[in-house]
Amino acid sequence: MIEIDRVSQVFRTSGRQDHLALSEISLAIEDGAFVSILGPSGCGKSTLLYIVGGFVSPTEGAARMKGKTITGPGPDRGPVFQEFALFPWKSVLGNVMYGPRQQGVKTADAEAQSRALIEMVGLKGFEHFYPKELSGGMKQRVALARTLAYHPAVLLMDEPFGALDAHTRTRLQNDLLNIWERDRKTVLFVTHSVEEAVFLSDKVVVMTRSPGRIKEIVDIDLPRPRRRAELLLDPRYQKYVVDIERMIDDTSEDELRP
Amino acid sequence: MISGHALLTRSAPLLACLGLLGIWQVAALIINTDSFPTALEAIRAIPSILGDKESLINIFASLRRMAIGFGVAVIVSIPLGLMMGRSRAVASFFNPLLMVTYPVPKAALMPIIMLWLGVGDIAKMLVIFLGVSLPVIYHSFQGAKAVEEKMLWSGAAMGLSAAQRMARIVLPAALPEILTGCRTGLVLALITMVTSEMIARQSGAGNILFNALDMGQYDTVYAMIIIIGAMGIGLDAGFERMRSKLVKWSEPGFDIPLSFA
Repeated sequence: MIEIDRVSQVFRTSGRQDHLALSEISLAIEDGAFVSILGPSGCGKSTLLYIVGGFVSPTEGAARMKGKTITGPGPDRGPVFQEFALFPWKSVLGNVMYGPRQQGVKTADAEAQSRALIEMVGLKGFEHFYPKELSGGMKQRVALARTLAYHPAVLLMDEPFGALDAHTRTRLQNDLLNIWERDRKTVLFVTHSVEEAVFLSDKVVVMTRSPGRIKEIVDIDLPRPRRRAELLLDPRYQKYVVDIERMIDDTSEDELRP
Repeated sequence: MISGHALLTRSAPLLACLGLLGIWQVAALIINTDSFPTALEAIRAIPSILGDKESLINIFASLRRMAIGFGVAVIVSIPLGLMMGRSRAVASFFNPLLMVTYPVPKAALMPIIMLWLGVGDIAKMLVIFLGVSLPVIYHSFQGAKAVEEKMLWSGAAMGLSAAQRMARIVLPAALPEILTGCRTGLVLALITMVTSEMIARQSGAGNILFNALDMGQYDTVYAMIIIIGAMGIGLDAGFERMRSKLVKWSEPGFDIPLSFA
C-alpha cells in the first residue's frame, strides 16, 4: 500500500516566481494494483512518481509505503525511465545482474536469474550485446528486466514507452501486461496516452495541468487478461477512452482561460 | 582485393613521416647551413645516442619523472574532477583556482619552483604534475557533469550508496571523457618534461638536447628531437590502444542498432 498524503511540490525557477508543480495530492494505491497517472505534459505527473521513488523530496506532505514515510530510493521501488538509463559500459547481462549482485546474490545465481529474465522480456541471444547496439524497444526491455531482477514490490514506470514508435510501443504494452498478469506487482505508470492508460490499468488518475491536481480517478472495469484486439472493439473500452479524453480537454480549456 | 586499400590506410602514417623527412632533407640541402643538418645526418646520429650508456640513463631518468608526475596527477585529478562534476559546492570552490592556473605555462613556473625545491627531480615532477592535472581535472569534471541523473537514480534504487555511485556509476560513465583528458595530459607531460629540463639542466632527454645545442652539435640536437618525437608517438599509440579497449562500449564505430522491437 502506497499513500500519498497532501503532497505539494514547489520548484524554484531562475525568475522570481516559484513554480507550483503539484498541489495537495492525496492518493492511495493498493498492493497489486496497476495505476496510471495521466495528464498533459508539465502537470507534474513524473514528479509525483519521483516522490514515490524517493528521488525527489516533496515540499509539503509525505508519501508513505507500508506506513513508513519515504525518505529516499530503495530496492522495494524499482524505476523504469523513458530514457532507459542503462549502464552503457555493461552488457545486457551485466545490466540485469547489477541489482542482484548489489543485493549480495552470488554471481552464478544472479546470472541464472538474469538469463531467465532476459528470456522473459524476449531478448534471449542478446545477453552479451551492449546498450549501444540495441534499438530503443530492446533497451526498454533490458531496463525492465534490470528492474525486475531485484524484485521490487512496486514498479515505477515513467513514460516508459514514450520514446518508442507506435508499433514497438504496442508490442511492449502487450508484453508488460503478460508479465504483470503473472506476478501482479504494484505498478505506478505515468503516461500521457489515454489509450495506453485505459488498456493497462485498474485505475487511471487524471491530472490537471499546472499546478498539478487530481481531477478525477477513474476505475477501469474491464476484464483481464486483456487482449488488445478484443479491447479495441469493446464499447466499454471505447467509452473510457472518450470520457477521459473529454476530461483532459476540459482541463486544457481551463488552462487557456484568462 | 582488400589488401590494396587496407595496405594504403595502414602505411599512411609511415608515408607521412617519410614525406616529412624528405621535405626536411631537401630543405636542408637547399639552405645548406651548419645549424640545420639534413634528415640523414640527424638519423645517422641516433644510434650513437641510443648506444651511449650515459644518454640512456638520461632518457630513462626523464621517462621516470614523467611517469611519476603523470601517475600522481591522474590519481589526484580524476577524483577531484569527478567530485567537482557532481557537487556544485566543490566545483565553485575549485573552478576559480583552476581558471587562474590554466593559462599559465607550467614551465614558466619552473624558476619559482626551483627556488623552493631546487633543481632536482621533485621540482620537475611537480611541473609535470601541474601540466597534466588541468586537462585531466577538466575532462573528468565535464564527464561527471554529463552523467545522466536517471542512471544515478537507477543505481540508488538498487541500493548503491553515494560513494558507490561515484565509484561504480560516475567513474565508468565518465571514463571516455576522462581518458580523453589523460591522453592530452600524456602529451603535455612529455612537453613539460622537456621544457623543465631545459630550464633546470641536470639530467634527462632535454638536458642532452640543450647541451648539444650549446656545443653546436646540431646533428645531435635534431636526433634528440626525432627521439623525443618518436617517444611521443609511441606513448600516444600505446595509450590509445589501451583507451580504445577500455571504452569499446562507447565508440561510435560500435553504433550499429539492430532492427528489433
